[in-house]
Amino acid sequence: MKMTFAQAAEAHLDDVYGYLAWFTGDRAAADDLAGETFERALRLWHRFDPGRGSARTWLCQVARTVALDHFRSERRRTRREQLAAVPERFEERFAEGLAPDLQAALGVLTAGEREVVALRVVLDLDASTAASVLGISATNCTSRLNRALKKLEEALDVAA
Amino acid sequence: MSQRDLVAELRAARTAAPTEVRERVRRVAAADESRRTRRFTWRRALVVALPAAAAVAAAVVFTRPTSQPSAVHGEVAVTPQAADRSRATLPKSALGGGARLAPLSAPSRVQQVEATLALRVPTPDGVSSAMQRALRIARSYGGYPVYVDAGSRPKSASADLTLKIPRANLREAMARLSTLGTITSEHLDVRDVTAGINETDRRIARSQRELAALRAQEQTPTVKRRVAQVTATVVRLQRQKATTLRNAHFATVSVHLATPARATAPHTAHHGPLHRLGTALMWLGIGAVYVIVLGTPIVLVALLGWLAARTIRRRREDALLGQP
Repeated sequence: MKMTFAQAAEAHLDDVYGYLAWFTGDRAAADDLAGETFERALRLWHRFDPGRGSARTWLCQVARTVALDHFRSERRRTRREQLAAVPERFEERFAEGLAPDLQAALGVLTAGEREVVALRVVLDLDASTAASVLGISATNCTSRLNRALKKLEEALDVAA
Repeated sequence: MSQRDLVAELRAARTAAPTEVRERVRRVAAADESRRTRRFTWRRALVVALPAAAAVAAAVVFTRPTSQPSAVHGEVAVTPQAADRSRATLPKSALGGGARLAPLSAPSRVQQVEATLALRVPTPDGVSSAMQRALRIARSYGGYPVYVDAGSRPKSASADLTLKIPRANLREAMARLSTLGTITSEHLDVRDVTAGINETDRRIARSQRELAALRAQEQTPTVKRRVAQVTATVVRLQRQKATTLRNAHFATVSVHLATPARATAPHTAHHGPLHRLGTALMWLGIGAVYVIVLGTPIVLVALLGWLAARTIRRRREDALLGQP
């Protein structure tokens, strides 16, 4: 039976928020995007079909769309600001309890790499579910994760 | 640090949503609780409307009147109206018990009656013998044939007869003629000419009174010329009346005898409840071929367009997410 939107929101808020925080690398942006994600999810809730995937996967897909919109608008904003001044650089903070060197190494990853780490490692989604969120194949998702972890490992080695 | 340790550390550092975000999402969810679920959606409406439309269309198609003979039972009596032209038509009826359109006799009225009878006879030999019997029936009632046309092929035959039958015997004659085969159509045309005859009688009487008055006068050349004219008028009117009465005495009966149409004969005899299924499937097949021929290029173009759009979108996405 399909759960109510309130139940889904309560159960998966932390996952969606964590995914957005890792994806954007900006906790402040994740705050806004999480709220926006659930507002959009509420409007689209009638389209959610439990037979095609879990509510968590569906909410992550909505969050990804919201985040991509955010990235596009950020890129436009950055281009405009680059003409006038040095763009503002926010302090990346992905999660509490991370070692400072790991925090710094995560800054080396691209948004796409951070996203796959968030889905596969932090949220512990299996390859096919994460791939469906990303809109790519499971194999592609796995190889992207391996690349990201290797890059992270190398960054940590360099820092050490 | 190994990859395993790295993954373990990353998993240990889970991120919880701040209180203000949690409150905001709860408010959003609370709005959903107060909102009723939308019962009407276009998808649901289509799910109901499409089968309903299909059912209505199927009902219209399959309950349309057919061109096959239908069993019609019921007495059809034609009561001629004075000075009226009455027509009674019962096309392609199968009145097994004999012709029902034979008019009620109205001896006090003068009527011109024309009847048409189409009969189906099982075999070509049957057509020939039925034609002979029809001629004998006409003669037995004091009638005669005015037109006979018969033709036959190896497996089919037809005959057309036009008979003149005394109106007084028409009912009985039609009843016997109808036993020659299965009635496929019947038509009766009754024209009451009593009023016309009465008018002719009045004109004759007027002319005769005028004639008597003229004869009483001095027979000058002018009067004699007038007497000749009126006499000719009286003679003409009397001939006209006699012709009308003679025509009204005989009814014209056209009889069409034919074997069943060769193409439809084997199929029309045993119609099951699914006899239209073959036709429906044939049309479905034709429709499917059209859809495939016309739809395939459209689907291919749409597919290519979709693939191109997806590739572009993915490339843009990769470029967007390819920066630290």
